[in-house]
Amino acid sequence: MKKDSSNAISNHPIVGHEQWIAARTAFLAKEKEFTRLRDELSRQRRELPWERVEKAYVFDSPDGKVTLADLFAGKSQLIVYHFMFGPDDKAGCPSCSFWADNFNGIDTHLKHRDISFLAVSRAPLPNLEAYKQRMGWSFMWVSSNGNDFNFDFRASFTPEEVANGTADWNYSKQKPGSTEVVGISVFYKDPDAQIFHTYSCFQRGVDMMNGAYNYMDLAPKGRDEADQRPTMAWLRRHDEYED
Amino acid sequence: MKAAVNKHEVVSEAEWLKARKKLLVKEKKLMRLQEELGLERRNLPWVKVTKDYVFDGPNGKETLADLFEGRSQLVIYQFMFGPEDKLGCPHCSLRADCFNGINVHLKHRDVTMVCVSRAPFKKLAAYKKRMGWNFTWVSSGNTDFNFDYHFSFTAEEMAEGKAFFNYAIQNPGHAEREGHSVFYKDKRGDIFHTYACYTRGNELFNLHYHYLDVVPKGRDEDGRGPFWVRRHDEYDQ
Repeated sequence: MKKDSSNAISNHPIVGHEQWIAARTAFLAKEKEFTRLRDELSRQRRELPWERVEKAYVFDSPDGKVTLADLFAGKSQLIVYHFMFGPDDKAGCPSCSFWADNFNGIDTHLKHRDISFLAVSRAPLPNLEAYKQRMGWSFMWVSSNGNDFNFDFRASFTPEEVANGTADWNYSKQKPGSTEVVGISVFYKDPDAQIFHTYSCFQRGVDMMNGAYNYMDLAPKGRDEADQRPTMAWLRRHDEYED
Repeated sequence: MKAAVNKHEVVSEAEWLKARKKLLVKEKKLMRLQEELGLERRNLPWVKVTKDYVFDGPNGKETLADLFEGRSQLVIYQFMFGPEDKLGCPHCSLRADCFNGINVHLKHRDVTMVCVSRAPFKKLAAYKKRMGWNFTWVSSGNTDFNFDYHFSFTAEEMAEGKAFFNYAIQNPGHAEREGHSVFYKDKRGDIFHTYACYTRGNELFNLHYHYLDVVPKGRDEDGRGPFWVRRHDEYDQ
């Protein structure tokens, strides 16, 4: 993230309305260009080839054992949010919880666009359900504990891969900070019930899905994380802020 | 978009990775462009707010300064809900479903986010309760606020089909329009207007579209816009 120039807040240029409109209108042209580039990239994303999912994955869900096909819930498109919550973790990752505060509630609308949206973690189902209840969320959350799903789709790594820095993370060999990483994976089920993996993104690939960051990008101070160590040191679970 | 799912190219894992890595380079480039734009946006000049606006809110009369709730940055979502409307706009309601849960985080980044509409406060409060939202929502019905910031338009402007909307003279299509505006309050209490966006400028905050943009069918709207949107409690009616 680039650092803001020093005049972002103090001694910020103050102008009259007409002058502001002129500067804002000039900037609008760049924003529109960005919107069009985003449209074009989305088009290219949909043109990516697909890979067939051959393995049978079985998850623990509130309705018992379910297959990957079941997770589509009658829709043809499935979005999986890889929520960092490992088998030995006591609570879900604070950062993923922040993202969940953004997406909680939108599955209602997405299912009317032929999309089943849910979260997957390796922690046992009772841990996911207890944490979900604590946080007041309503989205579907299933456990992949015991299957290879998270490993196959590069959202979990073995302790050895983490230690050696040989994890295949975000399409390169890297050293993730933990065995669980955040990501989004997308699947398609055709009328013959064949399932295809169409897309995955990791690391800052999920940035766009955080409305709060998009809002901070509008505000004068921006994300204002230059003095934060680590970057999101300010973040708490929504029930853990002190005030 | 139909071709995107019919007879789609299916490849081996190695081929898939190759294509995915190529796209990743472009995705990273776009993200860096977004950062550049964010920087440039924050370097836009500001305009001092000289008018006293008084809104009707849950605490009675509230000034624009009050809306900051002690923070220095204020983001306003202009929710389409006109004085005569019975209910809030379904599309704004979908957007509200996106930002309803994030206030708690924004306020720890010195940002207060509220909604403003011209409908009387009583109507806003009743609709908010029905929808189960918890953000602050105030009425600007007794102020020029919406007109000054080009989110509401007069009967004359609507009759003529000409108004200053999204930084051009055009037909806004509706007397109330959606959008965001941003204000900064300095230590002396002076308030500045720093930013406003309209139409597709609001898309960055519609998470539904960001998720639709990663699925095979995409937005799948056949150029009709978001015809499919209902209030979250009205889909099955």
